[in-house]
Order: sequence, then C-alpha cells, then structure tokens
Amino acid sequence: MSLASVKEYFAPDGTEKVLELLETYGDGALIVAGGSFVHGLDARDLLTGVEALIDIQNLGLGQITLEAAGLSIGATVTFSELRQDNEIQTATALGAVRDALNCPPLQIRNVATIGGNIAAACPYFDLPTALMSVDGVVQACGPDGTREIEMQAFFSSLFQNSLVAGEFVTGLLLPPLPGRSSSAFIKLETNANDLAIVNVAVRVSLDESGICQQARVVVGGGVAETPIRATAAETVLQGERMTDELLQSASAEVPSDLQPMSDHRASAAYRSAVAKTLTKRALARALARLD
Amino acid sequence: MKKSVSFEVNGQHQELAVAPSETLLQVLRDQLRLVGAKRGCDSGGCGCCTVHVDGKAVYSCMTFARSLQNCKVTTIEGLTKKDELDPLQTAFVEQGAVQCGYCTCGMIMSAKEFLSKHEQPDEDQIRHAIAGNLCRCTGYHKIVRAIKIAGQTTDLAGE
Repeated sequence: MSLASVKEYFAPDGTEKVLELLETYGDGALIVAGGSFVHGLDARDLLTGVEALIDIQNLGLGQITLEAAGLSIGATVTFSELRQDNEIQTATALGAVRDALNCPPLQIRNVATIGGNIAAACPYFDLPTALMSVDGVVQACGPDGTREIEMQAFFSSLFQNSLVAGEFVTGLLLPPLPGRSSSAFIKLETNANDLAIVNVAVRVSLDESGICQQARVVVGGGVAETPIRATAAETVLQGERMTDELLQSASAEVPSDLQPMSDHRASAAYRSAVAKTLTKRALARALARLD
Repeated sequence: MKKSVSFEVNGQHQELAVAPSETLLQVLRDQLRLVGAKRGCDSGGCGCCTVHVDGKAVYSCMTFARSLQNCKVTTIEGLTKKDELDPLQTAFVEQGAVQCGYCTCGMIMSAKEFLSKHEQPDEDQIRHAIAGNLCRCTGYHKIVRAIKIAGQTTDLAGE
C-alpha cells in the first residue's frame, strides 16, 4: 500500500468527532474500518489527495439487532460476524445474503465490514447485489442528521455513492419481507479471491397459494456501472406461479436490462449470457429453499 | 505524522511509532524483524502475509498498524512454544508441504484459525479454508494433507 498523500490517521470515539473531521478535511478524508478495499481504491487512482484516514471502528457501530423494523446491522460489523448471526444463518428470505457472505476468503471475511462494502459502491462486489434483492436500506449520518437511502438510489455510478459532503454510512437495515420469501445468490469468478465476473441475486415472495407477490432480480459484476435490478425479468415473475417455464422466460429477459462492460475478465456478450443462466439457477435455488 | 501504538506481538508488549498508512506487515518485517509473514502481492490477494489479530486470520499487508491499539498479534514465529513446533508446523514438515516455503507461513496461520473451529475437517472444508492463500508451486495436495493430519491430532480445546 502506498497512499502517498496520507498524513493523518484518526480513530475518533464519537460520531460528532467524525463529522468534524469530515468537515475539516472534505474530499481529503477517507472513512476506513477493516481497510480491505483501501488498496483496491488506491490501485484505481481513486485516493489521490486523501490526507486523512478516519477509522470508525471505535464508534460502537458493531452491533446486529433484530427489531420490529427489521434486522439492523452496524456499519463496522464484519462479514464473519454477520455470517454467525442467527437470523442470517436461518432466515429463508435472507438466503442470498448468506450465499454472498460465503464468497470471500477467511482473511477478508474477518476484516471487511458491511458499511465499507456498501460505501465503496464497487459494482463487482457480492454483498451489495445480495442486499439489493432483500430491499436493504442504507443508514447514513451527516451534518443535517441521519437519513435512510434505498440501496438502488445509494449507488449512483462506478465507485460513486449518493452520499453528500460530510455524510458517512452508519449501518444497514434489512426490513421484513412479505409472504413466504426466499432468496439466493450465485457468483461467477475465476478464483476464490477474485471479483465477480457476474453475480446474481434473486428473491421471490409468494402468497399462500404460491403466486409471486413480489420478485427481485439483481445483477452485478460489471453488467452496468452499479448492481442493477433486471425489472423486465421481475415483471415476468410477478403475479405468476413458479413453473420451470416461467423461470426460463424470466431469465431470458435479464439481458434486456443490462449494459455490460467488456474488460480483461470477460466480454460484454459473455456477461449477458452468463447473467441469464445464473438467474435461472438462482431462482431454482431460492425456490428449493422454500420446500 | 507518526504516532505511538501499543499492542502485543507473540505475547510481548510493543510500543512503536507508526506512520498513518503504515501496514502491520511493514511494522512486523521492518521494525520488529519478524520476517515469517511475507510480502507477496501486497494487495490482499495471495495470503502469504497472513497473521492473527486477536485470534483471527488477517492479511497483514492491508491492516493499518494504527488500528491495532491494544490488540494481540500472533505471527508464525509465535506458534512455536519453547522450541517445540506447533502440530501444524510438524505436519507441514513431515508431509513435505513446505515446498519453496513462500506461502507456508500464511497457509499455516489460516489453517490455524480454521482448525481451532473445525474438528477433523474433510478435504473440501480444508480447500475452502485456504482459499485466501495461493501456493505458486501449486503443490496444494501436500498442503491439504498436512492440514488434514494436523486436524486429526489437534485438540480443539488446546491453544
């Protein structure tokens, strides 16, 4: 790690102090926690001019609590900690989150935090795709107080989130989902430590008679500048019974919502084709979890 | 600006002046001369810098040393007790799993955390456990075998 311009490392013990530092340093501040993607940002030249690292691990944001509003996850909860949470381990609706948390290797799971993984707005990450499928809501704090941002609105473009100056991510809320909900996540990668070529998370929420009340098909991994919802596929699923033919025709709609990129990992055409196949498999996996 | 950080390394208290972006790996190798953890990719991709912080395996190349106030760090050098090798180290030696040696310290530190939580793991579990460590000799068979053997002899309650 070089981070040539960094001059200070702060580890404040209160939110107010973080806000003060963000005001003082402006664009020259970088919020850090586990630090596992700082190198990734640096390697992409996204940290030029960063003078101050602000470590938020002493703010008490390491809690996971099950509340009426949903599962509340503090920004500095690590992948390992979330993976051990009872709700994450057992809830059928959160299967996609469980799948995504299994992807990174041990050394990353032990330090990477939920807040950092979201705030980085990296389209190749796994967890954001999974979290979007279960309608996760980002919680942020800034000079004007706290606010909640739907994940889809949170990611604005490649490595860009929609936080305004002085704001930072404090946590994530996973609200209760309707009916019988189940979700699943699948990733295509070249090796265990690689970013996704394509990843897909799906969620179906069925009513008592097995009709789909609500569907989410989310695709990430370089199929657009952010993880995106494949709404055409969702529309096919909505109001229908989950037959093999339906899963097939929903998956076939996925490429119409993508604007995949071509890079050293894969061509755009390959990403499109894979996204379609992974969607079909993820839907089958989610439905199998309801049996 | 350098600031003092106090933490424990292999049971010994350390108080060191550390720059803001300095990594644990730099501190271990350059200040403490503990060179078991290697600088491979220096970007969290190869695993040969793996050490434990508070019992958890981490990539020391992407751990800010300034974040370690009051933490307990264990490196490969800290596994050997009174000149007696850890069962994992013994298994690596006996199975010829060391090979060129560059990945070995990281492999063992990953396996160490894994074996502390999994009794008699199967090959599939072991391969997943070391997914964050690359062996450039590609000699994974011997590494997996060594971890399996150590897993059969390691008492979970021990250490």
